[in-house]
Amino acid sequence: MEKKLLKKDKLSGIVKKLAAEKTVYAPVKDEDNVLFKILEPGMEPLTSFANTKNAPKKVFFPHSELLMKYTRSPKGMVFAAMPADAEEFVLFGARPCDARSVALLDMLFDQEKWKDPYYIEKRKKGTVISLACVHPPYSTCFCTSVDGSPTSTQGADLMLTDLGENYLVEFLTPKGEALAPWFGEATAADAAAEAKKQAIAEQSAAEIKKKIPGRAIKPILDVSFEHPFWDTIAGKCLACGTCTYVCPTCHCFDISDEIKGDDGARIRNWDSCMFPLFTKETSGHNPRTSQKQRWRQRLMHKFKYYVDNFDAIACVGCGRCVMSCPVNIDIRKIVEDISKL
Amino acid sequence: MEKVEKKLREEAKKLLAEKKVDVIVGYEAGTLPLTATPVFITTPEEADKLVWNSFCQHNLAKYVHDLISAHKDSQKRLKPEDRKRKVVGVVTKGCTSRSLVIHLQERQYERMDTAILGVPCTGYVDRKKLAAKLGGEEILEGSLDGANLKIKTASGEKTIALKEVLADNCLTCRINNPVISDSMMGEPAPPMDFASEYAGVDEFEKLSPEERWAYFEKEMAKCIRCAACRQACPSCYCRTCFAEQSMPQWVGISEDPSDTQAFQFMRMYHMVGRCVDCGSCVSVCPMGVDLRKFLKKLDKDCFVLFSQRAGEKIDFPAPLQDQRMDDKEEFIYSPGGGH
Repeated sequence: MEKKLLKKDKLSGIVKKLAAEKTVYAPVKDEDNVLFKILEPGMEPLTSFANTKNAPKKVFFPHSELLMKYTRSPKGMVFAAMPADAEEFVLFGARPCDARSVALLDMLFDQEKWKDPYYIEKRKKGTVISLACVHPPYSTCFCTSVDGSPTSTQGADLMLTDLGENYLVEFLTPKGEALAPWFGEATAADAAAEAKKQAIAEQSAAEIKKKIPGRAIKPILDVSFEHPFWDTIAGKCLACGTCTYVCPTCHCFDISDEIKGDDGARIRNWDSCMFPLFTKETSGHNPRTSQKQRWRQRLMHKFKYYVDNFDAIACVGCGRCVMSCPVNIDIRKIVEDISKL
Repeated sequence: MEKVEKKLREEAKKLLAEKKVDVIVGYEAGTLPLTATPVFITTPEEADKLVWNSFCQHNLAKYVHDLISAHKDSQKRLKPEDRKRKVVGVVTKGCTSRSLVIHLQERQYERMDTAILGVPCTGYVDRKKLAAKLGGEEILEGSLDGANLKIKTASGEKTIALKEVLADNCLTCRINNPVISDSMMGEPAPPMDFASEYAGVDEFEKLSPEERWAYFEKEMAKCIRCAACRQACPSCYCRTCFAEQSMPQWVGISEDPSDTQAFQFMRMYHMVGRCVDCGSCVSVCPMGVDLRKFLKKLDKDCFVLFSQRAGEKIDFPAPLQDQRMDDKEEFIYSPGGGH
């Protein structure tokens, strides 16, 4: 794995040059928010920011995605599956937690037995450039409690670490190495740079004060499906989808048909376990009729079912849900409370 | 404010101890600095959790409706003589009281289903304004010090005047004291700057239709369809929202801009004479969509055309429930030039 040093002031130019050749999603300032958006000419990619309001999962798993079109004709229905074809693109500026979220989504969408062609195609064509957290961006960060770290390389193809005057550029995968020509101005990294990065990694991880028992609650959850505790968390929940929509790992979807005259389109959309319509069946029956049941699903999915299925917690500790929940339902507190059951 | 808080806790304890209420919906301190969050108190011992301060943003009338409807549903299969009343106590500022009035006008529950603990309100802090003031820096610690907020961020200590970060709807609030209550915690609060209530709308009206539409499109493009606005709104209590009906499907669930616009449009038109300008939809929005500009315009129209303000008077029918011979109708499009 090759490592190089890049003068810090060169980075933004490289990203803009990349954007001239292919689609680049980058953090940009949008009124009061920092959002991942397609970098258009004249836009400035942010290289120094805390984290984005929205998670980057949408570049691989769009909010709405056309799967199929169909038309009613005199001879019957004509179906046309939409090809998964994607063009090459770059996701620039993902924080290590968000890059990890992509590795977690791979476990689900790219399994040995079940493969999601739409997701997999975008993963093949997309290169993830992550920006290590030299300092944890928020006091709500808790990546170190859910198997991550502020300098984790999981899910990234190329990682940049701010060493002061230079970035340490780590080419992590063949996709990352394919971007090497763009980093032509970078020079070989020496041992001192490597040592400095190591020190930063340790320092940054130590700065994350918030610890939650992410793994430890699994055995408790295994036997707590009917626990009265679940009655206590959903009371104030508004049943909006904010937490799940800003979450980098939430991936539930709903498929809807939109029909106009003889033409129809089948679209996959983000769903949310917080919505009353979640898992409502065509018959009208819903196995989860209350917000309590839906909240239990959210917690169990992240801290039990995903661990059962893939030995991974489906939470990267970015803290977006903690900061964005309109009624301050704090997943960190819920996990702590569960550990005391 | 401390005095109000003390009185509130005493009153809550009394109501719960005397079994006059089954639950009190109020505010407690949040897990993040300078926040308050809804809380449900069912025993006198828990009443000390209650807070009243400039971070109590939510319009709790939403929960009153939720709790009473759920209770009524649970009683449906019982014989009428076996049914029990559930009384919900609620910490009520001006806007909350107007939402309660709307529920009562719309026959959602009876007055005796609620115990209204009135609190004088001088406005709540708009977290997005505060974040902008801090240049996006995270609040590590914070406290309220008279008319100022003392805030600690990574770059040091800062003092910010409370009035600079109050929500827009609070700054020009016309009714900041409850219009109905069973008990009032302390003296009524002094009036806010309600003379300039419609200043923003007046400015907006001066724009050309193209400019107004461009603004609408720009704001709606931020929406992620999480429905937090609808869920937080006390006036949005439909059992099944039109946006969730599938036969027929009124709006698509995808990210298509026209679906998002149609959803917001239709929701807003359900708010004529029913929006109390509590700012809940705006404060809960994770993306900062300016819904208030449009809702305030509807509010102004309702007042100008029908001399009504949503939920202002309990013994007065709401504008959509009432028809009068002298109702204005010039706004109705009639190609033939009238009747």
